Amino acid sequence: MNVRLFSVAMALLLLPFALTSAFAQTGSSNIADAGKVPRTPEGKPDLQGIWETRNAASFDVGEIAEGHEIPYLPAALEKEQKGPRVDPIIHCMMPGVPRISYMPFPIQILQHPGVVIFMYEYLHDIRYVTTNSRPHLDGIDFAMGDSVGHWDGDTLVVDVTDFNDKTWLDSARHTHSDLLHVVERYTRVGPNTISYEATIEDPKTYSRPWKISMPLHRNTEPDFELRDQECTEGDNGRAIHPPYRERPEGDIFELVRPYPVTKVAK
Amino acid sequence: MRPFVWIAISLLTTAMAAFGQSTYTPARTADGQPSIEGSWQPRAGGAAYSVLPHAGGFFLGSESKTGIVEGGELPYQPWAAAEVQRLTEHMELDPTGHCHFEGIPHALYFGFEIIQTPKFIAFLHDNMHARRLVYLDGKPHPQGYSAWMGDSRGHWEGNTLVVDVADNNDKSVFDMAGHFHSDALHVVERFTLVDKDTMDYEATFDDSKVFTRPFKMKFQMKKSANPQEPFESDCFGGERDQEHIVNGLANLKDHYYSK
Repeated sequence: MNVRLFSVAMALLLLPFALTSAFAQTGSSNIADAGKVPRTPEGKPDLQGIWETRNAASFDVGEIAEGHEIPYLPAALEKEQKGPRVDPIIHCMMPGVPRISYMPFPIQILQHPGVVIFMYEYLHDIRYVTTNSRPHLDGIDFAMGDSVGHWDGDTLVVDVTDFNDKTWLDSARHTHSDLLHVVERYTRVGPNTISYEATIEDPKTYSRPWKISMPLHRNTEPDFELRDQECTEGDNGRAIHPPYRERPEGDIFELVRPYPVTKVAK
Repeated sequence: MRPFVWIAISLLTTAMAAFGQSTYTPARTADGQPSIEGSWQPRAGGAAYSVLPHAGGFFLGSESKTGIVEGGELPYQPWAAAEVQRLTEHMELDPTGHCHFEGIPHALYFGFEIIQTPKFIAFLHDNMHARRLVYLDGKPHPQGYSAWMGDSRGHWEGNTLVVDVADNNDKSVFDMAGHFHSDALHVVERFTLVDKDTMDYEATFDDSKVFTRPFKMKFQMKKSANPQEPFESDCFGGERDQEHIVNGLANLKDHYYSK
C-alpha cells in the first residue's frame, strides 16, 4: 500500500470520528482544543474582544432556529397574529434577549473576576452578568431580563428570566410571554469564533423548548472601537443604520428575507 | 473671634488648593495603573437639577448653596444666556426627559462602576444604561464623529487620570436647568484619589461658541462599601404629554431656580 492510498484509507476510516468530534464541538464544553483557549488571569476562558454576527436573524429568528421551526402553541400563534404589527425597537425599546445577541451591531465582552460584561453597540446596552449563580430576582420584570451566569467547564452559561412580554424576537413578529426563559451558552471554539447557543422556553407560547445557534465572529479590524449608538424616538431607521458607520453596499433592507421563512411547527 | 476666622479661611484655602493634588498613594492594578476600580457614588449636590447654586425640593433632592461650578456662575455669551432663559421656560425640551444619554459630566452625577483594563477604563453608569470607554492608547479622537457621551481618550499624570473628551454633540445638557453647550465643547477631566474611598473630580470645559472663557466644575465621589450589582435602567421616548407633565414643575421654576 503506497503512502497516498494509505492516507486516503486512514482518512476514510477516521472520517466518522472527525465528523462526530466536529459536531460534538458545537456547543460542547469538551472542545478539542480546550487547552489552547486563551484564559483570563482568573483561569476562565477569555471571551474578551469585539464580536459580531453575520446573519439576518434580527429580521427573522427562524434563520438560526433548529430546523427553522418555532413550536408555537396554536393559541399563542393566534394571539400573535392579532397583536400589534410595529416592531417595538422602532420605538427605541431594548431588544431583549436573545435578540440583542443577533442585532447587526458589534458586541464587546469585558471580563472581571466574578463578572462578564456584555457591552452592545446597539442602544449602548449593557448586560452585567455575575458568574455566581445567584438566585433570580423575584417579582420584577426587565426588557432585557435578569441574567445570571456560571461556568460549565469552558462554557459560559447565562440563565435569563424575569422578562416582560413587550419585546419581540425579531422584526418578523415572533413574540413571547413574560414566562420566557432563555439559557445562553458561549463557548470559545477558536481564536476568532465563539459558538453561541440558546435554548428558548416559554410554556405560554411554545409547545416545547427550542434552540437557536450561530457563531460570533471576532472583529479583527485594527483600531475598531465601539461607538455610542442611540435611538431617538421618531428617527425611524437610524437605529438600523447609524450615521457613523460606513453604509454597507446595497440596500440594508435587502437583508430582510421574504418572511416568514420560519416554519411554524404544528 | 478674628483669629478663628483667619484659621477657618486659611484651612479652607488649603483645602481648596489641595483639591485634585492628593499625596495619597493608591493601590495598583495588575498592569500597574493606579487603581480607581469600584462602585462610586458622586456627591454632586443635586447637580442633575442645576450645576449652579439652587434650592432643594421634592423632585430635586438636597439644595446646594455652592453648586459644582467654580465661582458659582457660568460665563455665557449674551445670546446663550438668553437661550438658557428660554430653555428654563420649556422644560419639556430637556433631553433627559426624552430618555437620552446625559453626556459629560451629567452622567457622573449618578452612581457608576469603574473597571480598568490595560487598554481602556470602562465607566458603567446605572442611569440610562450609559457607558463610556476611556481609551488609554494615546490615539486621537475619531474624525467626523459626534455623540451624546462624546469620545474619551485618557492618560495618567502621576496618580491622576486625565480624560480628554471631544466629539460631543450639541444635544446633551449639563442639567435640567437649561444649561447647555454646543458641539464645540471640549472637556478635560481629572480623577484623583484622595484616600481609598474618596475621589476628586475636576473638569475644565471649553466651548467658544457658547461661553466667553473656559470654566471648571468640581465635586467628590465616595466609593460604595457594599456595591450593588447594577440592574437594568431603561427609559424610552415618545411621551406625548411631556409638555403637560413638566409644566407642573415649570410653574415652580421661580422657586427651584432661585440662586
